[in-house]
Amino acid sequence: MTPAGLEGVLRAEHLDAGYGSVQVLWDVSLEVRRGEVVALIGPNGAGKSTLLRVVSGLLRPRRGAVTFDGREITRRTPEEIVRLGIAHVPQGRRLFPDLTVAENLMLGAYARADRAQVAGDLDRVLALFPVLRERLALPAIQLSGGEQQMAALGRALMARPRLLLIDEPSLGLGPIVVQALMEVIGDLRRGGTSVLLVEQDVGVALAHADRGYVLETGRITLTDRAEALLGHAAIRAAYLGLAVGDVGRPGSQDR
Amino acid sequence: MIFNTDVALQNAVNGLLIGGTYATVSLGFSLVWGILNIVNLAHGAFVMLGAYETYWLFTLYHVDPLASLPLTAAALFALGYPIQRYVINLVIRASFLVTFLLTFGLELLINSGRSLLLGPVVLPLVRVATFAVAVAVAILLHLLLTRTRLGSAIRATASDQEAARLMGIPIAHVYALTFGIAAATAAIAGGLISLSFPIYPAMDAGYTFIGFVVCALGGLGSVPGALLGGVILGLLQTYTAAWLGPNYDNLVAFAVLILILLLRPAGLLGRVQRFRG
Ligand SMILES: Nc1ncnc2c1ncn2[C@@H]1O[C@H](COP(=O)(O)OP(=O)(O)OP(=O)(O)O)[C@@H](O)[C@H]1O
Ligand SMILES: [Mg+2]
Repeated sequence: MTPAGLEGVLRAEHLDAGYGSVQVLWDVSLEVRRGEVVALIGPNGAGKSTLLRVVSGLLRPRRGAVTFDGREITRRTPEEIVRLGIAHVPQGRRLFPDLTVAENLMLGAYARADRAQVAGDLDRVLALFPVLRERLALPAIQLSGGEQQMAALGRALMARPRLLLIDEPSLGLGPIVVQALMEVIGDLRRGGTSVLLVEQDVGVALAHADRGYVLETGRITLTDRAEALLGHAAIRAAYLGLAVGDVGRPGSQDR
Repeated sequence: MIFNTDVALQNAVNGLLIGGTYATVSLGFSLVWGILNIVNLAHGAFVMLGAYETYWLFTLYHVDPLASLPLTAAALFALGYPIQRYVINLVIRASFLVTFLLTFGLELLINSGRSLLLGPVVLPLVRVATFAVAVAVAILLHLLLTRTRLGSAIRATASDQEAARLMGIPIAHVYALTFGIAAATAAIAGGLISLSFPIYPAMDAGYTFIGFVVCALGGLGSVPGALLGGVILGLLQTYTAAWLGPNYDNLVAFAVLILILLLRPAGLLGRVQRFRG
């Protein structure tokens, strides 16, 4: 049973995590409340994707705990975690290239117990992203970048998540597509879905978020309401290019 | 060399029909290699077990070989699933070489029971029925992979394990199912072989080799590829045997393997697709 008031709430507490002998996250704590969009920003290699991987169960933390709905999920598998209502749209989209768009979307619902409702959800996802309807029978590899991101987000929505983890959705996309994606994220939030958004475009991220965290070399260095962060001198200098310092991110890897 | 149209035609028919069996031999080998990324050196041993099971069911209980195929397939599925899940899974993250050695060990283990299995046998030839079964098995497997929830889960797991886990796909179970299905198709191939060819304990290595060649011809993890590759190999071997004598068929198969690997490493129908950037 979900403890009252904790439904849809994600809490990460004192997480240490890494790969092999390399520690990437250091004592990271973060919270996403119900129906909130929280932006996670920070430079290349800071550990943003690593944090999402810990939450969705792909990577076990060395220390610390993750709770969702007031329930501990730290040592659960990704299969269990997606069933509990957390869907992860990974960096680089990670669609299944040879599978059709329809197959990709349906796989998003793989873990669902209520299979009877899946067809209706597919209609809803296609209503959000009408362009995908004409592409259903195509292998995902044939989609444009924007369509791929829509398919990846749509696939995650097919799990009917109460928390969405989205990693760098705007990477490589034009401003119009990014705007459309952000509007969908806004709609989801109004529908009560919580969102943890990792975004390279700090301006876009903070403009659409309620709160934000700054992660630098594996540590949370700053957290505040989104508007406050937008006005923060260090953020303006380091990420918005409003002072010395480049925001270009040449080496950003998709995989 | 005397060229005779009738003989050539007969060879074409023979080659085509044998090719169907080769395709069935290779389906599972291709599935396991293409999807689990394991070169299963025990595959030929599964074929051999299937052949003997069919033979004994016929000899002892007079079960029609074609009728016993589902039974044989089920038995080998039941053997294959736990082997993958509880033995091979332990080393799935290990190197290619380790899985290679492990499946080779399995092959030796299964083959060391050879004294229990008795000598060669030739059952009445029903090669057309054999071919029909071979094609039917290929079509069923193709439908399973492309039209079912399990099939898309198998293909998803093959293309991106981590993304598959994010979908909630239990990948260890999917791997074991895939291996079990492959073993089942190998058993069917063995049953089919027992109808038309001599069976003997050491037959396994030859059929693993056929699996290799057909995969190289048709591409990994592709059902149409296995069919095409099987038929091409069947035709090649029949013609070589007819024109150069029976001892050269493996040599030709090997030459074809090398050629394909050099010219089209992904196989005739195979493609390697990845998102760019
Ligand atoms: N699978 C892995 N094995 C080893 N090291 C890794 C692995 N994935 C990431 N790292 C390392 O962990 C650190 C954090 O990577 P992570 O991908 O979490 O950063 P990020 O903040 O998402 O960066 P980006 O903006 O480039 O996506 C980097 O130094 C990276 O090289
Ligand atoms: Mg990242």
